[in-house]
Amino acid sequence: MELLQITSSSDFPLISTKKIVQMNNVHASYDSKNHILKEITLSIDRGTIYVIIGQSGSGKSTLLKLMNGMMIPSKGTVKIDYQTPNINDPKFKSLMHNIGYIPQSLGLIKNITVLENTLIGALPRLGKIHALLKIFPEEEIREAKKILKQVGLEGKEYRKAYMLSGGEKRRVAIARAFMQKPTLLLADEIVSELDSVTAREIMNLIADAQKTMNLTAIMVHHDLQLALEYANRVAVIKEGEKILEIGIEGDKIVDFQTGNLATDEIMEMYSTDTKK
Amino acid sequence: MKLWRCILLTPKNNLLIGVIIALLIATSYNIGANPVDFVKGLPNLAIIASEMTAVEPSLFVTAFWSMFETIQMAFIGTIVGIVISLPLSMLAARNLNSKYVYVPIRAILAAIRTFPSILWAILFVIMVGLGPFSGVLAIIMYTIGFVTKLQYESIETIDSDPMDAVRSIGVSKLQLIRYVVLPESAPHLLSQMLYMFDYNVRQTSILGLVGAGGIGFYIINYIKFFEYGKAVVFMLVVLFVVLVIDWVSVKIRDKYIVKSQHGIEVTTT
Repeated sequence: MELLQITSSSDFPLISTKKIVQMNNVHASYDSKNHILKEITLSIDRGTIYVIIGQSGSGKSTLLKLMNGMMIPSKGTVKIDYQTPNINDPKFKSLMHNIGYIPQSLGLIKNITVLENTLIGALPRLGKIHALLKIFPEEEIREAKKILKQVGLEGKEYRKAYMLSGGEKRRVAIARAFMQKPTLLLADEIVSELDSVTAREIMNLIADAQKTMNLTAIMVHHDLQLALEYANRVAVIKEGEKILEIGIEGDKIVDFQTGNLATDEIMEMYSTDTKK
Repeated sequence: MKLWRCILLTPKNNLLIGVIIALLIATSYNIGANPVDFVKGLPNLAIIASEMTAVEPSLFVTAFWSMFETIQMAFIGTIVGIVISLPLSMLAARNLNSKYVYVPIRAILAAIRTFPSILWAILFVIMVGLGPFSGVLAIIMYTIGFVTKLQYESIETIDSDPMDAVRSIGVSKLQLIRYVVLPESAPHLLSQMLYMFDYNVRQTSILGLVGAGGIGFYIINYIKFFEYGKAVVFMLVVLFVVLVIDWVSVKIRDKYIVKSQHGIEVTTT
């Protein structure tokens, strides 16, 4: 019953606004035989936090790669802002500029500074020659420093990325994504392996951005309790299939697929989650 | 004892050892390798060694100047070779290009690597004449062949996550190279640069054998005229310089490469 007392800290109303992500009957595979994802159908509202949870190998990261166009579904359709994501499609490129992607190992360039890593997010706004010569306008540098201050990295701008702790590296990855001025943030297990205090600090940063920038954040997690605390909706993936889509309404956990309270299923999952 | 039993008791291993021994005997016979000749020649080694002890200290200044020329040759050859090899390695990396680009580039590089530096030196002596310039050209070719291979292999081992993260922003391939590939492979490049310079100093020392300048020119001429006491002065200078370069390389590696690859300085949140 403990879970029923969890309240959403993200105060975002669950109203159906324009859909930013729409996936319909999506299948995905790395080879032609084994499907990593099967029959995934979901739609995500703009300006919400959507968390995907599931065990390792369940296809969560693949789902994010389908959304930023790094993978193409073997069957079904994926639409991001009504466009089909494909990293090699020039038409999708302008949308890519505003999709922040944080892979599981964060994707930082370890031999350059925190500030330089952050400024990578501004590359689409730079002219080709300036980008090649690494000449960033003063206002972009000011913006990067402002974001680094917001994420708690003031004074560490000129430190090399490899010198940072795990929590600090995650903040840099978030700063790089925020520097893109994103409408959509895709974050793969950004709070895994962190202590609960640091994990909440990271989640608070994303929740703040959701409110101030109307950011849509789609995140892969392992921690169900943390997911329910911050997300507007939580999708549960098991062996490549979406088995539940839940969220908190008032003080109740609701299964959005059936409209019923989801207590029993959640308690079962929660007990499995805490046993790990 | 256990290892010996293990080797002998496996029929597959016994067969393999038998084949290796048979090949060793057959190839030795074919090239006329005779251990008896080696033993008979040992007194000659003793004569050379005794003559080498008659060191001529007056030649040390000449030796150091000729070594300085060798170092300059190796320096130019290494730097120019690496500058040329950088764009080539970007084109030869499989994770950055289609096979229509990297396959022909790799074929050309394989052809360049086929020749050892001494053969390149002979070729350039014929082309541009005797002297250090032909030696420099030989070192450049050798450096291109090897550094490009080492560099494209290190580019291919770059973690795919930084590449994916930056590529997903929608940047161009040139920007991807500038912001991910170059910084991520920089420690490897520095390591290869140090290794190549060290190797090229030793290579350049023997290019004098074919008239391509440097300290090797003196060594081969003194040996030709059986003046081992003079030759040994030049050899000692080569040994000294190689040891110094090795020591400096270790210091640079410790400071810039090991730290950046393993993240030694870690601070807390």
